[in-house]
Amino acid sequence: MAVKVKTLEELLKPPAEAASALSTQEYYVNMGPQHPISHGSLRFVVRLDGETAKEVMPVPGYVHRGIEKMCEHLSYRQMVHLSDRMDYFSALMGNWAVSKTVEHAAGIELNDRIEIIRTIMAELQRVQSHVLWWAVLGMDMGAATAFLYGFREREIIGEIFEETIGARLTMNYIQPGGVMYDIQPGFVAKVKKLISYLRPVIDEYDTLLSGNVILQERLRNVGVLDPKLALSMGCTGPVLRASGVPLDLRKVQPYGAYAKADFNVAVGSKGDSWDRYYVRVQEMRESLRIVEQLLDGIPEGPHMVMKPAVRIKVPEGMFYGQLETSRGILGLTLVSDGKGAGPIRAHFRSPNYNNLWVISALAPGWRVADTIAILSSLDLVIPEIDR
Amino acid sequence: MGAVDFSKVRLEQRTLAGVKIPVAVVPRIKKQSYLEKILIALKGLMKGMRLTFGYLIHPSRIVTQQYPENRATLKFPERYRANLKLIYDENGYHLCGGCKMCEKACPNASIKVLNRKGPVTGKLELDRYIWRMDSCTFCNLCVMACPSDALQMTHQFENAVYDRRLLIYNLNRYAGPPAEAMAKLDEEARKQAMEPRDVYGGPVPLNGEPLPNIPPIVIAGEEKAASETPPSTEGPAA
Repeated sequence: MAVKVKTLEELLKPPAEAASALSTQEYYVNMGPQHPISHGSLRFVVRLDGETAKEVMPVPGYVHRGIEKMCEHLSYRQMVHLSDRMDYFSALMGNWAVSKTVEHAAGIELNDRIEIIRTIMAELQRVQSHVLWWAVLGMDMGAATAFLYGFREREIIGEIFEETIGARLTMNYIQPGGVMYDIQPGFVAKVKKLISYLRPVIDEYDTLLSGNVILQERLRNVGVLDPKLALSMGCTGPVLRASGVPLDLRKVQPYGAYAKADFNVAVGSKGDSWDRYYVRVQEMRESLRIVEQLLDGIPEGPHMVMKPAVRIKVPEGMFYGQLETSRGILGLTLVSDGKGAGPIRAHFRSPNYNNLWVISALAPGWRVADTIAILSSLDLVIPEIDR
Repeated sequence: MGAVDFSKVRLEQRTLAGVKIPVAVVPRIKKQSYLEKILIALKGLMKGMRLTFGYLIHPSRIVTQQYPENRATLKFPERYRANLKLIYDENGYHLCGGCKMCEKACPNASIKVLNRKGPVTGKLELDRYIWRMDSCTFCNLCVMACPSDALQMTHQFENAVYDRRLLIYNLNRYAGPPAEAMAKLDEEARKQAMEPRDVYGGPVPLNGEPLPNIPPIVIAGEEKAASETPPSTEGPAA
């Protein structure tokens, strides 16, 4: 399916005048950039007819920090800490994406211990990210209780990270050639306790929010995303899987220790906001399954295969690496001249950037409140869109 | 009987790009009549309210921490990353030899190590260890890069000040050789080798202004503009 691209002339046309005294006049409204529903600094220009959105145009760029340009001046080790600051809810996956690409480019071989620790940490982070998304979706739909409950679980997972990593949000943990610290002695027991705590809590989420008819009515059949449109717009992650396409790099191109774990890819059948909602709830359960299976099989070995201050030598050429974050496929292209300590060009393929533009295809025809439901079900993190 | 049976996750096998993928198709909401909807809505609301009231009468399940009232009992994990410090041994000597590995590892130039020629040993030794907390991201790369384990991230995280310049710290308590070199000196020479340094000792430059004793960065093509502004002649205060 081809996506119709609008010209600048079409986008800038003045709102239509009312045809008669009885019909309404179209008008433009700015949603954001400083608004709680935009989950950061993101602006939407909405063409409204009454309360119906005729057109939604995202205007990104308010959190642009030039991370790709900054990467050109940093070494491969230093680049990692910037990937925390893109999608901060999957900071470890960002670290991993950079490390994976650099390791692929420099030909660094890892041991099983590193791969399993990375996988466990990344899956815990996926649960943490989805818990927060669930909380914020509740808040967007007007359920403040859900917001507080979600944050409670997020903090409990955060304490596990804090103990092993030393930070909660911008962790800089997964380094090229290993992980910064080895896991704490009590880590396995603590994560097991966490899993037995989280399982009933996710069922509680179903009771509290998923089972609520108000939420169901606001999500069901709202913003149906066709799988062909989703693929042509480059959607990835839960947004694409909710439309029924089981594209998950953890299964399609297994990396880390995912090949060792048995898990299902959660997919939806229709592609509406409800499917996008429940695919993520189901993913939390699947992530816990992965962690549970890997916890007992952590082999002995060093947590770093190279010394932390050794310069990484990357040969001349262009390298690409990608993995599945909580929001979709995060890719990194590196261009190296083979001489410097860092890349001469770095480009991130961010999942949120592609997922964002779906809103302009889904929202027209829905009421303003429904566009917020669709937006919330897309789970956007703005700093990764702008980078 | 709710509108969604959450236990009904349909397991299937699908093929994508030649890879067999086990999928879990998530449950859908059933279609209901208007009256059914009202009944289910009431039931769902009651269930949700029972959960919240359950938490209300079980306050032991609340995890909220009362900061800052609990400052005295705050517990930090051992690896918690906050303000940077130089480690001192039992005699009060630091371990830093001034090799500048941390300065090179720092991604945003938050660390500046200034060395001097030692008055007693005649070798290069640490004069000032300047750490700019205002631009630090606590990435831990300096601690990892240090070959003599002279750095540590402490648990001090409360950094509110009224002036940004107060966030630029001088981490070493004295200018002089590290503990390793101190062990070779006698009592009198140790005293002569050490010169005290204050946390805020010396002129503290604003962000972007040149540091004392450091030539300003010259960008190609702008040499003329740079030569017109004379570098700071002020030496470090004793």
